[in-house]
Amino acid sequence: MINELRELYRYRYLLSQLVVRDIKVRYKNSVLGFFWSLANPLLQVATITIVIKYIMGLGVGNYSAYLLAGYLPWMFFQLALLDSSQVVLLHRDLLRKVYFPREVLPISVVGANLVHYMLSLAVFFAYLLFFRLFLHGAPLTAKILLLPVLMALQCALVMGLAFFISCLNVFYEDVKYLLSALLSVFFYLTPVMYPAELVHDKLVHIHPMLYKLYLLLPMNALTDAYRKTLLPSVGSISIRGTEVHTLPLDYGMLAISGVLCLVFAVAGYRFFNARKWVFAERV
Amino acid sequence: MMNSAISLQHINKSFELLRDKHGSLKSAFLSLRRSRPRTILGLQDITLTINKGETVAIIGKNGSGKSTLLRIISRVYRPNSGSVDVNGRMSTMLALAAGFHPELTGRENIYFNGAIMGLSAADMAGNIDRIIDFSELNDFIDAPVKTYSDGMLMRLGFSIAVETDPDILLIDEVLAVGDAEFQEKCYDRIESFKQLGRTIVFVTHDLDSARRVASRAIWINAGKIAADGDTVQVIDQYLASVVHVEHATKEIG
Repeated sequence: MINELRELYRYRYLLSQLVVRDIKVRYKNSVLGFFWSLANPLLQVATITIVIKYIMGLGVGNYSAYLLAGYLPWMFFQLALLDSSQVVLLHRDLLRKVYFPREVLPISVVGANLVHYMLSLAVFFAYLLFFRLFLHGAPLTAKILLLPVLMALQCALVMGLAFFISCLNVFYEDVKYLLSALLSVFFYLTPVMYPAELVHDKLVHIHPMLYKLYLLLPMNALTDAYRKTLLPSVGSISIRGTEVHTLPLDYGMLAISGVLCLVFAVAGYRFFNARKWVFAERV
Repeated sequence: MMNSAISLQHINKSFELLRDKHGSLKSAFLSLRRSRPRTILGLQDITLTINKGETVAIIGKNGSGKSTLLRIISRVYRPNSGSVDVNGRMSTMLALAAGFHPELTGRENIYFNGAIMGLSAADMAGNIDRIIDFSELNDFIDAPVKTYSDGMLMRLGFSIAVETDPDILLIDEVLAVGDAEFQEKCYDRIESFKQLGRTIVFVTHDLDSARRVASRAIWINAGKIAADGDTVQVIDQYLASVVHVEHATKEIG
């Protein structure tokens, strides 16, 4: 694996070129390219806000900010994985002609989506600042220092899964269908639209361990931690007028979840490397 | 031996015969019941050495294994057994669609192609002017590649391959570059490339260009080396066999 990493390092310029190319192509044909890419999540956030806040009656300080703090990381997760399922087939002509370390393809996909994610976080911070200046709301605290750690762990998770998915999709083309089905299921299983506290309230009555297991689902501990990092003072949570007990950030579960992310990254890389030289014969 | 640029020892390569190229989970489950997948032989026990400064044409029928051989050399395929030894930096001349992104400009695509060949940003900064000059595309270099004609794309591809100064240049069936004038320029460039002791290996069906450029030809037939040596002689042998086969089919028909 050390030799593979050394070879990958030798091709770092290719990696940066692939990321730059992806971003350029994505935003090239319209000046408003970046804003168009924000339009979709914003529309989603507006819709979900109406449904969850006004129809279902979830009471959280600033629900839109609360939702975005979970939704933006989720978008990074989802878009990077969907892109990774296509990336090897997309570069089939190159694969069949030229030698290069194949792992630059999924890595570049995660890299490009990470850049995109960071841009959307920047817009989110601008939005938070606006609320802090003109309205009440959530000021940033020292907890924000945890954000880079969370992002690094999420990158490891996304990278590991992207290695598995990009590789498997070469051999079984229905992996991408399975993936999009699973992603829509996990969108509901992950505390993006709702607070993890609501799940805690239900599960803790059955068995205290169940909530811990719930947090171990791929993005769950991370999403909860993102939220408690980006919006440290949510205040109270209520559902249809009934107060829900707020929970502090569970560092223990975050640590276990973080270790799992790193395990995914290493396992994915090994899985990918063991199969990457057959791609040229299969695409 | 320091003189060898490429050395292949007892290369064997076979491919799994896939019913449909892209597998699906269903076919994977079905194949659990079947016995081992059938394989087709790509290359059988190929041993050859190409020395520095040689220009070698690989010829043969479609499906004979020519391109497989080139891909073994360029490390795109891993052999089932045998060893591949390459001395020096290799670059592959990319055919039309492979290396270019239509939305990006010629200049952006040059940088990308350099990166694909394993070069660094600094390397490319040193090469970019020569590449653009040689391609004669100065006026179009900042236009998106989707506006280029096929001839312009080939010129750009050839310029990148040659002007990045590899020790070994691999070409898969793309010597018909642009108009007659530009073709002459390419032949001249290949000639000076040879003078510098660089190695060229190319796969082609165009026997005239093979005769003109190559000092040595390797005829691959059914995954084996059928003949290897002086270009003119090997091509004659190859043509004789083709004519022979044609006669035989006529007699049967």
